Amino acid sequence: MAPPRILSVSELAAAIRGRLETGFPTLWVAGELSNVRPAASGHLYFTLKDARSQLAAVMFRTAVQVLPFRPADGMEVVVRGRPSIYPARGTLQLYADALEPRGLGMLRLAFEQLSARLAAEGLFAAERKRPLPRFPRTIGVVTAITGAAVHDIHTVLRRRWPLARVLVRPVRVQGDGASRDIASGIDDLNQIADVDVLIVGRGGGSLEDLWAFNHELVARAIAGSRVPVVSAVGHEIDVTIADLVADMRAPTPSAAAAMVVPDRHEIATQLATCRAALAAALVRRNRRERERLDGLRRGLGNPRRRVDELLLRVDDLAARARRGLVRQTAWDRRELGTLARRLAAAGPAMQLARTAERVDGLRDRLRLAHRARLDAARAALARARSGLGALSPLAVLERGYAIVRRGDAAGAVVQDAETLHAGDPVAIVLARGRAFGRIERTES
Amino acid sequence: MGRAEDEAPRFEEALAELEGVVRRLEHGELPLEDSLAAFERGMVLVRQLTGRLEQIEQRVEVLLRTADGNLATRPVADDE
Repeated sequence: MAPPRILSVSELAAAIRGRLETGFPTLWVAGELSNVRPAASGHLYFTLKDARSQLAAVMFRTAVQVLPFRPADGMEVVVRGRPSIYPARGTLQLYADALEPRGLGMLRLAFEQLSARLAAEGLFAAERKRPLPRFPRTIGVVTAITGAAVHDIHTVLRRRWPLARVLVRPVRVQGDGASRDIASGIDDLNQIADVDVLIVGRGGGSLEDLWAFNHELVARAIAGSRVPVVSAVGHEIDVTIADLVADMRAPTPSAAAAMVVPDRHEIATQLATCRAALAAALVRRNRRERERLDGLRRGLGNPRRRVDELLLRVDDLAARARRGLVRQTAWDRRELGTLARRLAAAGPAMQLARTAERVDGLRDRLRLAHRARLDAARAALARARSGLGALSPLAVLERGYAIVRRGDAAGAVVQDAETLHAGDPVAIVLARGRAFGRIERTES
Repeated sequence: MGRAEDEAPRFEEALAELEGVVRRLEHGELPLEDSLAAFERGMVLVRQLTGRLEQIEQRVEVLLRTADGNLATRPVADDE
């Protein structure tokens, strides 16, 4: 047995390196990036690890330069390369020549393909977008019941428009089955009669977390929704298929909530404006009617008022004449009585006869005076009547007008409905005769 | 789910009616009697709608599928 050959370190390193390079052709390895260190040279040093193991890795400058993204600690990646050792340090490392986020490449391809297909079908077309209802009765929300999204949505809805009911359909928003969940959630909410609008989304997450919203099932469910859909996938840099198909796209769940309902304070202001407009319109209308009525009254009112005035004057004259006569007669009677008493007191027969003569004379004079006064009053009355001439109330009455008097003793002429009340007795003076009645109702 | 608010006209319809009433009144083409009636109707609508705006509590429910595959709603618990 030959003594063992003693190798130099370099020989051993070179031998291991040779074995590694022949035993491991270029391969793909998946792991998580950590300790990512870009070097001044442009090379990128990092560690690739999983739950149990880790492996140092290097990517040379030329490969780093074509990377479409910046690798960072914590990223799940797939690396293409070959394992070898770095002889100067004797460390095993992976020489990487390509690196991409795990799954993303395939997903991205799927996204591009689906997006192109749905666009060709017209699912993203602007004319397919439906307007959102102004006052939704029930807002359907498709999201995770545990996430911040549902809380944010509810907070905004309660502040802006608590009148709407919120109906949450809890779904998984990431991981296996999430897209199926989201699609069936959209379908289910569409079956609820008073759901008027849907919010479909989730809070912010990594690109992969959001991937369920890029699935065809979700796109089809949104496109087939009876009611408008607002997408609210919490990201702003990129767009999901759900965003493209939705009737409206919101950057966050809170923003989606603000889109689907009005602000009750604005509506309250609008109602106050309506109330003011109603009142103003009524006031304007009243003023216009009053002006019209005044115009009519001016046009119609004159002859009637003159007749009324003349009638009043006639009444006044008649009353004064009557009162005058009564007073005079009474005075005359008193005077006669006094004279008679004085006569009785005077006593003697001659004086009695003379006095009787005087009494007769006085009586005659009294009668004459009486008659003269009556005649004078009649003449005044006749003058007054003839003075009324063409506007004689009787002539007016002949034309069909009537005079309404109060039914009480004074019998005042009624000119204003406001002086009357229901039940008041009235006398209606007609051209021939009078009629009597009671007021049923009045209007001013 | 025969809720009381289902019987009331939708907010949207009532507001549209109110706006119509205001418009007709402002144009003044209604007979006087009708304009009074329109004014009263408008004020009733303003009162009703303003009253509805004063609602503060929002109904939040969860839509679930039952074991037999039917849809059912239930109120959201406080801890959700």
